[in-house]
Formats: sequence, C-alpha cells, structure tokens
Amino acid sequence: MMNIAALVNSLRCSLLHIESRLLQAAGLTLDRQLAPALAVNGPSLLPQLDREDELEEQQSPEQSPGLLDGILWMAAPKKRRTIEINRTRRRDETNLLKVKTNIEPCPECGHLKQKHIMCGFCYAKVCKETALIRQQMTAMEGGPLRAPTVETVVLYEGETPSELDKDKRIVERARKRPAWFN
Amino acid sequence: MATAMTGRGMAFLRTIPRVMHSRFQVLGPQQLSCLHTSTSLESKHWEKRNMKVYPPQKPDDDRRPAEIHHSRRQIKYSKDKMWYLAKMIRGMSIDQAITQLQFNDKKGAKIMKEVLEEAQEMAVKNHNVEYKSNLYVAESYSGKGKYLKRIRYHGRGMFGIMDKVNCHYFVKLVEGSPPQIEEKTSFDQAKEYVQNLKNRTIIHSL
Repeated sequence: MMNIAALVNSLRCSLLHIESRLLQAAGLTLDRQLAPALAVNGPSLLPQLDREDELEEQQSPEQSPGLLDGILWMAAPKKRRTIEINRTRRRDETNLLKVKTNIEPCPECGHLKQKHIMCGFCYAKVCKETALIRQQMTAMEGGPLRAPTVETVVLYEGETPSELDKDKRIVERARKRPAWFN
Repeated sequence: MATAMTGRGMAFLRTIPRVMHSRFQVLGPQQLSCLHTSTSLESKHWEKRNMKVYPPQKPDDDRRPAEIHHSRRQIKYSKDKMWYLAKMIRGMSIDQAITQLQFNDKKGAKIMKEVLEEAQEMAVKNHNVEYKSNLYVAESYSGKGKYLKRIRYHGRGMFGIMDKVNCHYFVKLVEGSPPQIEEKTSFDQAKEYVQNLKNRTIIHSL
C-alpha cells in the first residue's frame, strides 16, 4: 500500500510539473502556484497584454484548451461534507425504504402475493404444466420449424375432441385436467 | 557462589508465573475485559451471546422472554445498502418482516430473509420457543466485513484502489408480540418542550 501511495504522489508531482512547464511555454503564468480552483478571467489579470501575448494566446489554446479552461471553470466542493450532514441526508424519510401494504394471501394456494401481481407459486405450477405440453408438442413435430399451420388443442384423460376441435392439432396429456385449466 | 545465585534466580523466576496467575485470579472478569488481550477479526461476540445462561427464576417472577442472536458474515453486499433493509424491519414481528423482505427487490432482502428463517428455526429447536410466529425483531443492523482491494484504472496513468465490499448482518429475535411504540404528535412534543421550560428553577436565588 505504501508503494502505491508513493507512486501516486510521484505521478501527481510529475503531472503538475508538466502542467507548469506548459503554462510557462504558453506565457500565461501569473503566479508560480496558480490555483486551479480560482475561476478568474484571463485578460483582466494581465493588464500588460500585448499583441505578442494575444498571438500566443491564439496559438496556445490549440495545444491545450480543455486543460486550462476546464481547470478555471469547473465546479468543485469548497468544504468536506461532515458525517453528520451525510447521515441526515442518507437517513432522511424520503430515502428510507417504504413498508408495502399491498400484500395479501392468494385465495388459491395460500401463499402471499401482491395485489396486482400473480401469485408466484401458482405461476410456477402453470409454468411446469406448459413446459410438459411444449415437450409433447416438440416430440410430435419431430424437428425444428415443423409447426403445423392449424390451431392446437390440449386434451386430458377421458376427453374426446368436440365439434370445434375438428381441424385442430390435438396434444394429449396423460393426466386429469388441472383445476385451473379452463 | 554463582551456582547458588543462579539456583535462587531460577526459583525466583519459577514463582513469577505463580504470582501473576494469582493476581489474574483476583482480577474480576469486568476488569479483565478492558485488557484487550485477545481481540482479533475472528472474534464472534454476537454468536456468543446465545451461550449466556441466566440463574433459575423464582416462581413469582415474570417469565423472561427468550432472546435469539443470529448473524451472517461476509455477505457480498454493501453495509450502507444493507442498513436500509435492517432499518425497515426493526420492531416488526417476524412474519411481517419476512413478508416485507420477500417482496423487496434488493439483493440483501433475499439474504436477510434466509437469516431470519434460520434464526426462527434455531429459536424453536434450541431456545425453547413454543410458537415460531411469537417472535419479533428487537435489534437488526449491518456491519462492515473484510474488504478486498483491487486496482481501478483511470486515464493518464492514474489509478485508484477499489474496495470489494462485504458486510455482516446481525439480528436479535425476542419472544413475544412486538412492543407498541407511542406515536407522539407534534403538538404533544411542543407542549412537552414548553413544560420543560416552565419547570426550570433559578438556583441560588432569593
């Protein structure tokens, strides 16, 4: 950890050095330690601006415009936020979790569900049965992209196809009809 | 001469641990606890609270409610995010707490629900709790676990140290129905404040 901290410090020092050299080259150094936090307009602090400086200003922004402008005009926090202020913001009423009042037991299975959402247990039940029906359908088709162009009807034990089911594909399931299916 | 000296020296050295041992026996457990001789990051004080044994109660005493301490360590989640869930279920009955956690979308909610169910099982099996629903959450909070450190690469050759966060979760269940907290209205609070001001006396006065 110590080496990394030292590395970071050395990198920061070298970068600051590079920046100061760039500023010197551009000819815009006001003080030795120009604080980047000050948002000060350039020309107002250089009353002796000559045409040479203006020419240099025109040339230098092409080298590093974003760096200098960004430093002078960026918003930055003035003071460290204390832990008390941080806590009052994080623990404010609006940020706390709300207790849900829309939970009720499912009338079918008795597990809990939200009022506007299907019961998870009943949904899992339906998913299982539909997975088995789909397995049977893929077995009947025999391969991919062989779905018939007619409708499909699922029939359980002891059921005969009715008048309406004449032209439909019939999928047979070897169990009695579940209570929730129609 | 030298051998006699060393003989006496050895005898003296042998009496030192005996003296120190007797000294430590004289010191009570309260005084020893401030010595911090064995704190390490693996000390599990929360679980040890389950081992506390009270003396038998007298027949006319009120029944002491059972307390169950349970925790889970090194959960891969942030302690600050876990705190919101822990704050939500403080003071709820265990059934209500499990319901709320079941329908919460946060990652910590699933883990906390497992912890509560484990604690409920422990209560019924080991802590002589008769009805598993007759429990409420007395204390629940999250703590910082051990972090792993990784490097996060920034531009211009700079880097930051990224923390891979872990948290612990602690819960204490107590037998009985959850205590009713009296909601004080703002008018009552203001009245109390004014009353406190009126009750002030001026000392050293005539």
